[in-house]
Amino acid sequence: MADDRPEKILAALGGAENVIEIEGCITRLRCELEDGSIIDEPALKKAGAIGVMKMGSVVQVIVGPEADTIASDIQDLM
Amino acid sequence: MSLEILSPVDGKTVAMTEVPDPVFAQSMVGPGVAVQPSGGRQNALAPVDGTVVTLHPHAFVIATEAGQAVLVHLGIDTVKQKGEGFTLHVVKGETVRAGQALVEWDPDAVVAAGYSAIVPVVALDAAAEALTDISTGADISAGDPVFTWQG
Repeated sequence: MADDRPEKILAALGGAENVIEIEGCITRLRCELEDGSIIDEPALKKAGAIGVMKMGSVVQVIVGPEADTIASDIQDLM
Repeated sequence: MSLEILSPVDGKTVAMTEVPDPVFAQSMVGPGVAVQPSGGRQNALAPVDGTVVTLHPHAFVIATEAGQAVLVHLGIDTVKQKGEGFTLHVVKGETVRAGQALVEWDPDAVVAAGYSAIVPVVALDAAAEALTDISTGADISAGDPVFTWQG
């Protein structure tokens, strides 16, 4: 089964041009964004995010234990 | 199967809801218990027999043959320390025994750096009711059981 989560999550974060840095940390994606306000939270949840924590330009997307894999897939898309 | 989860560190068990991070406090990735570690430089031990499926300096996941995966996170937001002060004794993919030393770290140094050194021990993707014998408020040694996971 193809995993379209990385693509959908990247899009919901505002696309590659909005992402400064993304890093997988066990269960969450730590994202440093140009603009943290433009993320599409419902789309993130639809793409499999369990939770989303926003702290200004830093957004943490909780995706579960596959976070490291998803983060490296997103890095490949950027 | 019923799996006994061992504490990775010496310290005192506290309810997961006390952990200053919503992902753990709200059990977003699974239920478990946290251990407030005591002391300085020490080894964090494997909570179960299994394979190291994820390994960061500050956190690791051990998966059993039956597929039960246990996450141990050494402190909160310690990813920002970029591995400084953490020494790995194993590699990703290695088979380990419960109680085996996996990572050497220093809880006192983590606190001195301004972070919480609390250690969440999480039964990944488990249902809350699958955990029994959860220890809270008890002084424990590394290697003591902290909960049982009915898988």
